Amino acid sequence: MAAYILRRLVSAIAVMVMVGIFVFLLLRMAPGDPAAIIAGKSATADMIAGIREKLGLNDPMPVQFMHWVRDMLGGDFGTSIFAGRPVLDLMSQRLEPTLSLSMLTMILSVTVGVSFGILAAWRTGGLIDRLLAVFSAFGYSVPVFVIGYFLIYFFAIRTHWLPVQGYLPIESGLGPWFVHLVLPTVALSLGFIAFIARVTRASMLEVLSEDYIRTAAAKGASSYAMLIHHALKNAGVPILTVIGISFAYLIGGVVLTETVFNIPGIGRLVVDAISNRDYPIIQSVLIVTSGLYVLINLTVDLAYTLIDPRIRY
Amino acid sequence: MTVSRRDLIKVGLVTGTALSIPSVLRAQTSPASARTVHMVKGDLRVFDPIWTATNITADHGAAIYDTLFSLDSKFMPRPQMVGKWGVSDDKKTYTFELREGLSWHDGTPVTAADCVASIRRWGQVHPGGQLIMARASDISTKDGKTFTIALKESLGILIDILADLTPPCLFIMREKDANRPATEQVTTNIGSGPFRFNEALAKPGASITYDRNEKYVPRKEPTEGLAGGKVVNVDRVIWDVIADQQTAMAALQAGEVDYVESPPADLFSVIEGDLNLALQVLDKQGWDVVLRMNFLHPPFNNIKARQGVLHLIDQEAFMRIMYPDPKYVDTVTSIFGKDTLVSNEEDTGWYKKGGDPEKAKQLFKEAGYAGEKVVILDPTDWRESDNASQFLAAELRKIGINAELAPMDWGGLTARRAKKDPVENGGWSMFITAEFDYSLGNPLASPLLLANGDDAWYGWPKNDEYEALRAKWADVATLDERKALARKMQPIWWDFVGDVRLGTYVSPVAHRKSLTDLIGMPQIVPMWNMRKASA
Repeated sequence: MAAYILRRLVSAIAVMVMVGIFVFLLLRMAPGDPAAIIAGKSATADMIAGIREKLGLNDPMPVQFMHWVRDMLGGDFGTSIFAGRPVLDLMSQRLEPTLSLSMLTMILSVTVGVSFGILAAWRTGGLIDRLLAVFSAFGYSVPVFVIGYFLIYFFAIRTHWLPVQGYLPIESGLGPWFVHLVLPTVALSLGFIAFIARVTRASMLEVLSEDYIRTAAAKGASSYAMLIHHALKNAGVPILTVIGISFAYLIGGVVLTETVFNIPGIGRLVVDAISNRDYPIIQSVLIVTSGLYVLINLTVDLAYTLIDPRIRY
Repeated sequence: MTVSRRDLIKVGLVTGTALSIPSVLRAQTSPASARTVHMVKGDLRVFDPIWTATNITADHGAAIYDTLFSLDSKFMPRPQMVGKWGVSDDKKTYTFELREGLSWHDGTPVTAADCVASIRRWGQVHPGGQLIMARASDISTKDGKTFTIALKESLGILIDILADLTPPCLFIMREKDANRPATEQVTTNIGSGPFRFNEALAKPGASITYDRNEKYVPRKEPTEGLAGGKVVNVDRVIWDVIADQQTAMAALQAGEVDYVESPPADLFSVIEGDLNLALQVLDKQGWDVVLRMNFLHPPFNNIKARQGVLHLIDQEAFMRIMYPDPKYVDTVTSIFGKDTLVSNEEDTGWYKKGGDPEKAKQLFKEAGYAGEKVVILDPTDWRESDNASQFLAAELRKIGINAELAPMDWGGLTARRAKKDPVENGGWSMFITAEFDYSLGNPLASPLLLANGDDAWYGWPKNDEYEALRAKWADVATLDERKALARKMQPIWWDFVGDVRLGTYVSPVAHRKSLTDLIGMPQIVPMWNMRKASA
């Protein structure tokens, strides 16, 4: 097991290096000049040239790349071209909102999605199953920003129950923090709930048709014991896989949700950085995100062993 | 199972309590203070107002820094940090004395040395400042509060340049900050202006917080434009960056923010229909939409082709496409803007309502146009310009021009417009931009009014006769003389067609009616003077 984890961690580093090279080259080849954006719409060519020189953007690409690698290895993620502040500071400012939104979304998606899927499988063809079918179609097909605007209109503008936008850090109190995350979490979760519920239902249906379930029923096991103790555990591997995939998709969904609900998270940071051509921010965020992605996959793989003892690495 | 009436009441009470929790929590977390103003503005990416010419940074500069002179509502310069000033009889030496009570946010007093260093730094980048530096024989302090600018030859518009609103404006910084080169960003954010920058609450890309500078001593005169006393009537101003315009408007409607700088035009009717909201035009001069053409390559290296474009343009149609509400748009025929002190109607016979496509076609024929590709840079992330670019391409095609759109974001456009190569090698033929109407009133400050070839702004127009007249701008002292000079320059520009104007527009801001006394000036949205009534 330890050797497996070590192998995976080494491969994670290799992935991050590949991402780093790819992102660096892609950004430099894409059209756009951060110096021109900094200088402003009506700036003169002299002004832009001065800024380019100062930022080191006139250095040859290999030199820029070596400087970047050297700094990264030393733990220096660089300085934002625009704000003139360390990228690490900017990222740490944005990490809490994104993590808060992601965690709440996953908690809501997994609890509701798995429960919904189990109920639908248990009463297959019944009302709950049909409701799940309708809900899934809705959750898959309606984009998160449409759901977001809908929620804002009814729960913020019409009723004033919840705030339209913004984020308050957890240190300002659990209540205010939570209240600002209710609408974005619901908006972002709907698609994931639908996804997890459908997979849970399918996986449960397959397991529920097994002989040992019939045996358990014949022996008088309760519905609860049958569903949770016997069926769910054996249906767990595909569900866990889907939850892992959902985490990965979440990174993309967070960007839109953060924009609609004005949450100053990592997603907004990187989108703004792309439009500004703020290379150090884009590079750093993508490196960190890819590392996170690999770690989530690793965690999911390791979690399989807890659910299914037959799996060994 | 039976449900009793008592059970129903219990369920009802629990449900009601649960539903009310969010609004109770929200009430506790809302910015309750009427002394805090939330303004939705653009993203303040750069904090040094000399390092960049962007307006959002100029707004930041106006909040935390102060200026030697300020323009009143009629665009006349008035002393701001300066207490007394004078000029020698030969008009070559200006002496300035700072007024009492000026201090930096770190508590140290503002000195003449700070002003001298600030002028020198600003003089590296501002076109008017560069002129001052070129003419100055000496800029030095006389004592702690007095400094002089000695000139090799007189400069009639020196005070106007010092007060100029076109970014980068002359904001006075501490000497140790101003001693840095203009190409190196100052990030300390310590000024002597009416607001202090709250470093602890600064979240670039999310929100920026300014606190009232309690130690600021405003001038005694009443506020008049940007001149007069900068009296702050609120304790805190927070700039919220809300990237999504719909969300910004929803936040305004819900009372979470007080002001939205750029409300979407398609929601104007919603704002007008809300009793709590108002639309207000702060910059009554607004923006001029400008079409730049590349003078270096065919077909626009030919004067006849440029004249063809001038005659083709139907300004009303362009404005309808860019800004559908006719209340906020107009046509413009003066190169100096629609409503500046030197706008004039000299040689504007080319203007024809609806444009003149037949004449345009004829002029392109006279230019010997042979189907060369015309590449229009199309910034798809600037919706109005994107619409106008597509319309321009369609209009050109109608008269037989081989127009092709090159879609890109604004960041891509800023890089490509600097290319002087032919279109086959990644160059360009045309792009649309916008310039403050106010800025076009000063050909020494606006780079768009240069016609000195390689040193001119993108498109690189060249006309020596026009440039010779533009050079005289620095020497004329009175407004009447400037107007006369402007009337001579304009016919030359329209003859060689340095650029083409597509119209002019003003952008209203949206605010809650509880926010009052906003100052309306071009370029800068000041935060002093405004008041917020209790909700």
